[in-house]
Amino acid sequence: MPPIIQVSHLTKYFKVSVHHRGFWGAFRNLISRQYRLARAVDGITFQVQPGELVGYLGPNGAGKSTTIKMLAGLLVPSGGEILVNGYLPWRERQAYVAKIGAVFGQRTTLWWDLPVIESLELLQYIYRIPGDRFRRNLDEFRQVLALDSFLDIPVRALSLGQRMRADLCAALLHDPLLLFLDEPTIGLDVVAKERIRQFILHINRARGVTVLLTTHDLSDVEKLCERVLIIDHGQLLYDGELTSLRDRFGGKRRLLVDFAQEYVDPQVEGAQITVREGSRVTYEFERNTITASGLISRLSELYRIRDLEVREPEIEETVRRIYEQKLLENH
Amino acid sequence: MLAPLFFSLASRSFQRQIAYRAAALAGFFTNFFFGMLRAALLAALYNARPEMAGISLAGAVTFTGLTQAMIGVQSLFSWYEVMNSVYSGAVAGDLLKPMGYFRFWLAQDAGRALAQFFLRGLPMMLFYAIFFRITVPQTFGQWMAFVLSLGLAWLLCFAWRFWINLAGFWTPNALGLVRLGFILLYFFSGFLMPLRFFPDWFVQLSAFTPFPYMVNTVVEIYLGVLQGPQLLQALAQQAFWAVVMIGICQLTLSAGVRRLVILGG
Repeated sequence: MPPIIQVSHLTKYFKVSVHHRGFWGAFRNLISRQYRLARAVDGITFQVQPGELVGYLGPNGAGKSTTIKMLAGLLVPSGGEILVNGYLPWRERQAYVAKIGAVFGQRTTLWWDLPVIESLELLQYIYRIPGDRFRRNLDEFRQVLALDSFLDIPVRALSLGQRMRADLCAALLHDPLLLFLDEPTIGLDVVAKERIRQFILHINRARGVTVLLTTHDLSDVEKLCERVLIIDHGQLLYDGELTSLRDRFGGKRRLLVDFAQEYVDPQVEGAQITVREGSRVTYEFERNTITASGLISRLSELYRIRDLEVREPEIEETVRRIYEQKLLENH
Repeated sequence: MLAPLFFSLASRSFQRQIAYRAAALAGFFTNFFFGMLRAALLAALYNARPEMAGISLAGAVTFTGLTQAMIGVQSLFSWYEVMNSVYSGAVAGDLLKPMGYFRFWLAQDAGRALAQFFLRGLPMMLFYAIFFRITVPQTFGQWMAFVLSLGLAWLLCFAWRFWINLAGFWTPNALGLVRLGFILLYFFSGFLMPLRFFPDWFVQLSAFTPFPYMVNTVVEIYLGVLQGPQLLQALAQQAFWAVVMIGICQLTLSAGVRRLVILGG
C-alpha cells in the first residue's frame, strides 16, 4: 500500500521582524524594518502508512504544531514536498479537508456560541454526510465519548474535557481516513485523559483511521503509539519504534527485590544497589550487561527471595535525556 | 447542492440576532433618534423650497428614514467579524472544513441582514410613516425594483465589508484599515446626503467607486427618481459591481490564506 502521508525535505520559515530598541529605535522602525528568518521546520522527511498511529514528539517550539498545520493544509510550506492522501494539502484545500479530521487541543474547531448538537448538525451539511451514516456515527460517538449530558450546551460553556470530546466527535463524523491531533490531552485530568486515549485507540483499531498526534504527555505516547517521531529545532531526531528507542537510550533498568530476610550486604555481580530499606532492595543494571532473568537467577542462587519486580526506565526520562544530552544529534 | 448548508448557516445566524432583543431595541431607538435629527436638518436646508435636485421635502425625509433603516441591514458602520476570526484563530477551524470561506460568511450575513430587516429596518419605516409624511413606491414594478436593488446593495456591501476585513490576513492590527474602509463607504455611498445634492465632480468621482450602489441607488429607486431605462441601468451597475467585488474578494482571499500565520497551539 502506498503511504498515506509523504513528507520530504519539508521546511517552514517565518519572517520575524527585528525591532530597533528604545525611543529613537521606535522611529527607525517606521522607516526601516529588518527581518530575520526563523526556521520552524527545517528539512523533515518521513512517511506514514495507512492505519498507523504515530506519535510526534518534541519540546516546546520544536516545530510540531507547524508540521501538523502544514499537513492539515493551514500553512503553506516554504520548501520541500508534502503529499497527503494524494493531495497537496494547501493547494487543494477544499477537496483535501473533506477527507481528514483535525483536533487542536488549544482551540476548538466548533462554533463558540452554538450548542454542541447544532454544531454537529451543521457538519452534516458541510461534509454532506448521508443522513443514515451521520445518525449511526453520532449514536456511536455519543456513547463512546459520553456526550449526552452536554449536547445542548453552547461550546463556550463546556469544560475542557467536554470540549475535547465534542471536538473529537466533530472531527470524525464524516469518516475521515486520517486524523491529526495536536495536544489532544493538554490540560486534562487523569480520568479525562484516559477516556480520550481509549477513544483514539478505538477509532484507530476499529475504524482503521490513521492517526498522527503531537503531545507533551509521554504516557499518551506510551499507551497509544508503536512508532514515534522526535523533532527538535525543526529537525527530525528519531523515527522508529518506541521500544527500540527505549532499548537504545533508555538508560538503566531497575529490579526491586523483597528478600525473605534481611541480608547485611546483598551484592550481586552486574548490578548496583541504589536503595535499601530493610529487606527491600533496589538494583540498577545496564540492559547490555545482563538480562533481567540472568540477574534474577544469580540473585536467587545467593539469597532467598520473596517477591520481585522489573522496572523499565520511564519513557519520560528517556525522552528528556534525548533532548538534554542531544543523544541523537549525530545520528 | 450547497443550498441546505447556506440556509442552515443563515437561519442560525438569524436566530442569534433575534436572541439579542435588548441590543436590537437599543439599536433601533438610536437609529430612529438620529433619523429625526437628520430629517430636521434636511428640512431646515430645504427652507420652504418644495424641491431640491429632483427630490421633494417628503422625499428627503424618506431618504433619512430609508438610510437609517439600512444601517442595520447593510451593517454600514461596522463589521469586523472576519478580521476578529483571523485574530482569534477561529479561522483555522473554518478553513479545515470543506466549504468556501466567502460563502460561509455570506450565508451568515444573509441571516444577520434579514434579522436586522425585521428588527430595525421595517420598524424604522413604520415609525417614520407614523411621525412624518413619507413617500412610498407608486407601482408594483417599482416595489420589485426596490427589493431587487436592496438585495444587490446588500450583496455588494457585504463583499466590500468582507474585502476590507481580509486586511487581517496581512497585518496584526488591521482595525485602522477596516475603519478607513467604512469611512469611504460613509462618504461616497450617499448615506450622508443624497448624492444629487453634491457638486457634479463629486458625483462623477463617486460613480467610479462601488459605494453609490450600496445606498444611493436603492434610495433613488425607492423615491422614484430613477425610472425606465435609467432604473434598469442602475440595477445592471449594481450587479456589475457586485460581481467585480466578489471576484476581488476571492482573489484576495486565496492570497491571504497562503500567507496566513496562525499563532500559538
